[in-house]
Amino acid sequence: MTGPAILFDAVDLTLGRTVILDGVSLRVAAGTVHALVGPNGGGKSSLIRALLGQAPHRGTIRLDWPGDGPGTIAYVPQSVEFDRGLPLTVEDFLAVLCQRRPAFLGPDRRMNYGAALDRVGMAGKARRRFGALSGGERQRVLLAQALIPAPDLIVLDEPMTALDEAGIAIFETLLAELSAAGTTVLWVEHDLAQVRRLATRVTGLNRRVLFDGAPLEMLSPERVFDLFSAVPRRTGAERIAS
Amino acid sequence: MSFEALRALIQGWAGAGLLPAGLTHGFLVNALLSGLVIGPVLGGLGTLVVTKRLAFFSEAVGHAALTGVAIGILVGEPYTGPYASLFGYCLLFALLVNYTRNRSNLTADTLIGVFLSVSLALGASLLLILASRVNIHILENVLFGSVLTVDDRDLTVLLVVALGVTALMLPLFNRLLLASFNPALARVRGVPVKGLDYLFIVLVTVVTVASVKIIGAILVGALLVIPAAAARVVASSLRGFFLLSVAFASVAAVAGILLPVQLALPVPSGGAIILAAGLLFLGALLARLFMKGEEG
Repeated sequence: MTGPAILFDAVDLTLGRTVILDGVSLRVAAGTVHALVGPNGGGKSSLIRALLGQAPHRGTIRLDWPGDGPGTIAYVPQSVEFDRGLPLTVEDFLAVLCQRRPAFLGPDRRMNYGAALDRVGMAGKARRRFGALSGGERQRVLLAQALIPAPDLIVLDEPMTALDEAGIAIFETLLAELSAAGTTVLWVEHDLAQVRRLATRVTGLNRRVLFDGAPLEMLSPERVFDLFSAVPRRTGAERIAS
Repeated sequence: MSFEALRALIQGWAGAGLLPAGLTHGFLVNALLSGLVIGPVLGGLGTLVVTKRLAFFSEAVGHAALTGVAIGILVGEPYTGPYASLFGYCLLFALLVNYTRNRSNLTADTLIGVFLSVSLALGASLLLILASRVNIHILENVLFGSVLTVDDRDLTVLLVVALGVTALMLPLFNRLLLASFNPALARVRGVPVKGLDYLFIVLVTVVTVASVKIIGAILVGALLVIPAAAARVVASSLRGFFLLSVAFASVAAVAGILLPVQLALPVPSGGAIILAAGLLFLGALLARLFMKGEEG
């Protein structure tokens, strides 16, 4: 199965009196690596939360799955909140996420956590305490969990933030593998150089869509300057209210 | 096998010298059985309580039991086991705290502090009103637990609660844990985060209430927290954390019930159980320091 296409149509999201997303419409083609870029507070993570059904929004978000039914969605958050001193190994962490059998009874061998850890360069660290890992290592484990089971759609929320150079190389390989397998990748990223190199398409988002197209074409210095410096224009209603 | 037959069997073994002599007394066998039933459950659930940082909450639910007992006596339930009021009030208290926690801008500890204080004030006021109606010394049993008052009905309640909680906790263990790591990730993995949040609150509450008779309202929350805390100090994996917590809670429960009788100490069962758990915690801390010293 290849990944789904995603359609965002006139998506609005308001928290309290703050407009987070304003009429966002875009299409993520099936099997592509689609990057979302924009300033902090521009609504990238909110759009992802809306896609994952975790933010109340207006408008339409539709996943067009090929074949009979929905496939597997994976999500890589920026971080996980947990007690760093918790006696939880890397393998325990994956077991908590991926298996039904209580994690304290040990890993379900059928899940093959070793293979996923190997893919992110963490082979041999399954018994390490999760809380004792560096930020980059934890990020790699978060990538590994997204591979179990093999995803058809993977949503990445700034996955490279804590990665070192080796981690970035692993991430690039992983992205290429996922893309080759037909997985749809929706990727929030702030590193525009990486987006330019790795994404099939990029959308500039600052409360509304400012541009959408091929990265080499869209990420010109002028557009990037506009994206990160422009205060999003207010709606007519907001202008009247103020 | 009925409780009666099991009790007779254990008393027989104690009479033959195979078990401590104190177990020739039926009341002590009842207390021991209740400790063996509820200890492992409290230990297992405690790992989730500690991980989800709900220690103060579990203490508060235990204290709410005091008010539950007062309400039970007020409405005419038997003071030896006012279970309808106990379960009813404590569930209401716990669900209200959780509902408000999700809708206020207060931190959990502040909110629980408010609810706990108000609940205790209500319980204390009711108990003073009831002072003329019941022997107030009976309330010592409610506060600190008693091995003398556990009957077959209490054992049945404990067994039903323990089996129910275990049947829900074990298959949902990973999901309950995941919901506290990252709710968004949990939801993508198909975990109904809010529903499980409430379910967990209910599980903690019913276990706490069922244990009040043996451990007492003041101390019951501690057996959810101390064994798990001790296990967390020395364990290096989730397996060790869970199994040690279950072992510590079971040992503390059994030791706290048997030792005061064996040694003729005038200590309530609840106090003895928690003191035993405290000693295990101290031992775990010392073991940790020793292990660190060996490493360093």
